[in-house]
Amino acid sequence: MTATDPDVRIPDPIELDELEEERLRAAAGLGPRRVAGDGAGPAARPEYAGFDQVGLPDRPPQTEREQRLFTLNEGEMLLNMGPQHPSTHGVMRLLVKVRGEVITDLDVVLGYLHRGIEKLCENATYTTVLTYVDPMDYMSAMHNEHAPAIAFEKLYGIEVPRRAEYIRALVVELNRVFSHGLMMGFLALDMGGLTPILYGFINRDETVELLAAISGQRMLFNFFRVGGVNWDVNDEFINRLSRWRSNVEKTIGDNELLLTQNEIFTGRTKGLGVLTARDAISLGVSGPNLRASGVPFDVRKAHPYSIYDELEFDVITQPQGDSYARYMQRVAEIKQSIHLIDQIVDKMPHGPVQAQVPGIIRPRPGRAYAAIESPRGLYSVYAISDGGPNPYRFRMRDPSYITLQVMPKLMPGHLIADTMAVMASLDPIMGGVDK
Amino acid sequence: MAIDTNQTNTGGAPPQNIPPGTAPPPIVIPDQAAGDDLLREFDMEEHPRGGFHGLLEVIPTKADYVLDLIRANSLWPLLSGLSCCAIEMMSTATSVNDVDRFGMFPFRASPRQADVLIVAGTLTTKMAGPLVRLWEQMPEPKWCVAMGTCTTSGGRFKRSYSVVQGVDRVMPVDVYVPGCPPRPEGLIYGLMKLQELVKQRRGQWPDYVDRGPQRQAWEGDVR
Amino acid sequence: MRLLLDRFPGTVSQLWTDTDTVEVQVPRGQIVDTLRTLRDDDDFGFFFLADAAAVDYGPQNWFEVVYHLYSDRHPAWLRIRVRVDRKSPHIPTVTDLWEGAMFHEREMYDMMGIVFDGNADLRRIFMSPDYRSFPQRKDFILPDDAADSAAAGVNPLERPETWDLSRFTDALPATETHPGSDETAVEAGETLADKSRPR
Repeated sequence: MTATDPDVRIPDPIELDELEEERLRAAAGLGPRRVAGDGAGPAARPEYAGFDQVGLPDRPPQTEREQRLFTLNEGEMLLNMGPQHPSTHGVMRLLVKVRGEVITDLDVVLGYLHRGIEKLCENATYTTVLTYVDPMDYMSAMHNEHAPAIAFEKLYGIEVPRRAEYIRALVVELNRVFSHGLMMGFLALDMGGLTPILYGFINRDETVELLAAISGQRMLFNFFRVGGVNWDVNDEFINRLSRWRSNVEKTIGDNELLLTQNEIFTGRTKGLGVLTARDAISLGVSGPNLRASGVPFDVRKAHPYSIYDELEFDVITQPQGDSYARYMQRVAEIKQSIHLIDQIVDKMPHGPVQAQVPGIIRPRPGRAYAAIESPRGLYSVYAISDGGPNPYRFRMRDPSYITLQVMPKLMPGHLIADTMAVMASLDPIMGGVDK
Repeated sequence: MAIDTNQTNTGGAPPQNIPPGTAPPPIVIPDQAAGDDLLREFDMEEHPRGGFHGLLEVIPTKADYVLDLIRANSLWPLLSGLSCCAIEMMSTATSVNDVDRFGMFPFRASPRQADVLIVAGTLTTKMAGPLVRLWEQMPEPKWCVAMGTCTTSGGRFKRSYSVVQGVDRVMPVDVYVPGCPPRPEGLIYGLMKLQELVKQRRGQWPDYVDRGPQRQAWEGDVR
Repeated sequence: MRLLLDRFPGTVSQLWTDTDTVEVQVPRGQIVDTLRTLRDDDDFGFFFLADAAAVDYGPQNWFEVVYHLYSDRHPAWLRIRVRVDRKSPHIPTVTDLWEGAMFHEREMYDMMGIVFDGNADLRRIFMSPDYRSFPQRKDFILPDDAADSAAAGVNPLERPETWDLSRFTDALPATETHPGSDETAVEAGETLADKSRPR
């Protein structure tokens, strides 16, 4: 198995068993195996009797796709992973069709965390929408608030103070660092390594305490406001930031030391789940997963929002497109984010952090679209105002929701134990997937 | 003597089908006289559900107390995170907050091996069925912790069309930990409260365990 | 924008621009051809489908399917709006152009009830298969319909039709009114929608 060969196919163990049996029989001087039923059809293999019914639901298939999924060929069975599964990144269900230990088809069943956030936002005022979107992609709550804030500012036609924009960029990049750092830990955890998640959480706890010092909340920050941010930086934040800056490269470096050159880790991720650039674009994959397939698409460069056109950073890509490339892409982006944070702290201007905005915002009727680069990809908000105090339509496009579509594309031909390695390298967060 | 009226197992002789028109057979308790002598000697009385209470109850209840201590200090939670609170639950388990100090670390992936279900995150109607099934698969005695406002009442999603408004609508809850999400310290405090409940023998127990007298006996020690 | 008008005469209408968005409207029949040209033609190069969403215009009696496209040759997002009749919400699928439109279209079917002709896997994605309502339509009013669901038992305080407002109006002087109060505005906005429920 090589990393560059996209057509890696693991041999079918049932065929291997039969070949082995024929070889042994020939070595022992026996003839070929004779079975009842003329050697064809399910009767030929009595050991698989009854397997054609395993895992089938008790309702008829609704679509062509389900019809294909529920039609079990010889030796195949359906296997449920989830909705409660120790390593499924939240509550989702994978319906896996397996032949022996090799996956032949896969379906993603969602909705176990669907909370109706869009509908709730349409019944909330513009200010309170920013509290509802927090638990969407709960590993990057700052990004969740960033896109609606930009969209509402466009609707209302308001200018954000310069210092507020810098503070926004600062907290957003801090959030990106701990989100990617935890992804490294989860990827190792799903393949059986416990230690990297401990390092990941040390870094994460340090960062969220730092963000709690500025926002007051530890996880769902509710820090952004329409027209600015809630608080200016304070002394505790600055102290913690300097301490964080001196530690972060060490904590990330510890994880890298454990994983990047680790023989078991590379053996299980290199060449696994190769996503070509053409497929990735067609499937709507964005963010680090798309860049790991070699497409240099980053919203921060493509449509610069906030202050990203004044900062200097590169769009890194990886050519391979496998699980290991997606991991390396995260590591590289952590270093980019730390580089960005250094620039933002150096250039931070003085001034107010909140524009003059009334308590109840009533924008003129109109439409606004705002897209940002979240740790998982293109996160966008489409908001429509009808002149009232609450948005007429509030639509969020979450990157991990769209990214999950690659699973049926990638997994056939792989072993079932590799599902989690591919899944963790894609890094979906169910709160964002199910809204 | 306090009797827990919630218990369905009443003990004693099973009800007998007596055909109409015949006299009930006499109830014969073997060795009644000898037993009464023994009871009087040790200042004990017979419990209506079986067993004896009095001076000699010290011996079984001390053993039970040790068992309760062991139970309370080796609670194994089920690894079932639903949503945002799951991340804080993991943070509680990892090295910074380290709930291992309280004997709670080994998050079990299988409900058959777990004692505590920490419902961490919003429970939707689609997930309610699988979660109740997990709860029913856990062996008794078992306890449930509702972590976060979503599980205590629905929280910020209370109005939503697909959210269960409080996990106590579908399963019994022993400890509620408010917060959105609670800090790890908050969860640890809730778990310490849960350990007190475990020592009081509250929670979901098998029917055949008589926990009324023991609860009475050890309430003073806990407080 | 000039390019759009030149290449699609008679197709695109209602042009409108924002600071970083160009918006056009396309009739329902030509949507697949238009999107294919936008994706494949070298002049446009809108290779990435950023978003596909549905909007319910209940009072006007139509749905609107909105596509957002990205191109590395143009400095703006392209927003394409397509109107769909509310009585028979059918629109051709674009999963032949972008496979990633599959989850977008399944979500629109689940939340709004828009049927995408030609989609091979159009079933509910968030709600369970036996759910019958379409929650993001404007005539799905939250507290009432939530009371019908398994998440029953909404607090009566949240149901405006059960409020006894007379005791407040009696206490207040007749001249004092609260026209701009948020709560009343929100509730009025909800009840503006079509009262006829799909069920």
